[in-house]
Amino acid sequence: MAKRVVIVGGGSGGTILANDLDPHTYEVTVVSASASHMFQPALLYVAMRGAPAAIARDERGLLPSRVRFIQDAVAEVDLTAQTVMTAGGERLPYDEVVLATGILTDPGQIPGLAEVNAAIGDYHSTAAQAQKLWRQLDAFRGGTIALGQASPVCKCPPSPLEGVLLAEELIRRRGLRDKTRIVYFTPYPRAYPAKPMDEIVAPILAARGIEVMPFFDLDRIDPATRTLYSIEGDQIACDLPIVVPPFIGADIAYRPAEVLDASRLVVTDRQSLRVKGVEHAFAIGDGTNLPTSKAGVGAHLEAKTVAAALAGRPAVFEGRTNCPFDMGHGFGTFVVGSYTAPVVKSPPTRWKHFMKMAFARLYWLELRGWLDPVIDVYFRMTAPKPAP
Amino acid sequence: MDTTTAPRTLVDSRGSSCPGPITDLALAYRRSKVGDVIELWATDPGVRPDVQAWAAKTGNEIVSMEDRDGKIVVVLRIAKR
Ligand SMILES: Cc1cc2nc3c(=O)[nH]c(=O)nc-3n(C[C@H](O)[C@H](O)[C@H](O)COP(=O)(O)OP(=O)(O)OC[C@H]3O[C@@H](n4cnc5c(N)ncnc54)[C@H](O)[C@@H]3O)c2cc1C
Repeated sequence: MAKRVVIVGGGSGGTILANDLDPHTYEVTVVSASASHMFQPALLYVAMRGAPAAIARDERGLLPSRVRFIQDAVAEVDLTAQTVMTAGGERLPYDEVVLATGILTDPGQIPGLAEVNAAIGDYHSTAAQAQKLWRQLDAFRGGTIALGQASPVCKCPPSPLEGVLLAEELIRRRGLRDKTRIVYFTPYPRAYPAKPMDEIVAPILAARGIEVMPFFDLDRIDPATRTLYSIEGDQIACDLPIVVPPFIGADIAYRPAEVLDASRLVVTDRQSLRVKGVEHAFAIGDGTNLPTSKAGVGAHLEAKTVAAALAGRPAVFEGRTNCPFDMGHGFGTFVVGSYTAPVVKSPPTRWKHFMKMAFARLYWLELRGWLDPVIDVYFRMTAPKPAP
Repeated sequence: MDTTTAPRTLVDSRGSSCPGPITDLALAYRRSKVGDVIELWATDPGVRPDVQAWAAKTGNEIVSMEDRDGKIVVVLRIAKR
């Protein structure tokens, strides 16, 4: 009898995995809270450029026809009884489960942020929120913009900096640069957390007149005065606070509850991607506690690792990251590293920017596995060198 | 409070280079109270200057920082929140 594999979450990781599993060996079910699949990196351009907000496709159409797709939120996963329960009451027993539920923005964690987030929008949650932010930027006529991440855990680590660089480009193009102060705040010791990349980024920020406030861990915001206060005791008063909200794992009850950490991330073995302490369960993508960047590239490689493990092939995840980084004005780079190879300096070029934009167009093909040969070659060619 | 009896939070950041160990430390700081002790494990050597700068900025105390069994072990006491 075919083994029953239940994949919880139909985002990047879950969809790539469902497309990779052999339908003759596995009876695959994907359960996802949403019927549509959003290409999340496009939110940056919806918010900062007013790009079209039609950035989602129907998830069913991205899955092979033999995969069963259930659109419903999962309410409970019992890892000892090996069953998944949906909010609608469907009980799904499994032989293997893969948790690919991503992370969600959670502005309520910071006093004042829910109100500010509802008024200003953001570019890490929904297309509607990104459009709201675009309307704010579009109407902006000068003053202070403060942009940064509220918490150290962030989907796509370069994305807060991409936001500030693209916002600055917009303000400059509109002739508002002289009338605008732009502040970038971050809980890290410097603008880009990994030092070698910061050596690239810091001079660019300085050249574009963007002030950096390091060690600014957002404690609260006063929505009335739009003043941001940090745990460290600093404050920024601004006209337009663009805050990347804190993130939290999916709202699912697990048995045993110990598989989740304090941010509701699934405690996952770094190499095997098995959920710690239980059998027949894997976790991939943003929803894990792996010490890597939360990015689609990780979700891709982790999905391939689990596919190999399920097929009985050797499967070890090496922590490879490859985060595209749009630096504005047509320049871009990639932040590359792994568990054993620390991030190195990677200067921006127009070619790398072109690559980022080209990859984005190919996302829907990537999900189906149609680009695997090209992507495999790319990863091999750009493999980072381990530290000596 | 003495660091040997205070509740100790272990933060294992081994293998993390991007965004890096300071991510886990900042998260633990957010959840901490004055008097708490945080023990941070890391393999990224960048953690040494970063933790020093972090402690200087936040007014918290580095109790010890040493290399042990192939990892860097930092013990911090939260003095300010
Ligand atoms: C602005 C921005 C820019 C980005 N840029 C890049 C980039 O340039 N390159 C890159 O590689 N990555 C980028 N990313 C990150 C990338 O989008 C994510 O890392 C990637 O989507 C993670 O995949 P995932 O499968 O883990 O989670 P997701 O793709 O988020 O999917 C999670 C899925 O789980 C489902 N789900 C959630 N809760 C439940 C539940 N209770 N029950 C059932 N289903 C549930 C959701 O509906 C969703 O389908 C960017 C992200 C943002 C926001």
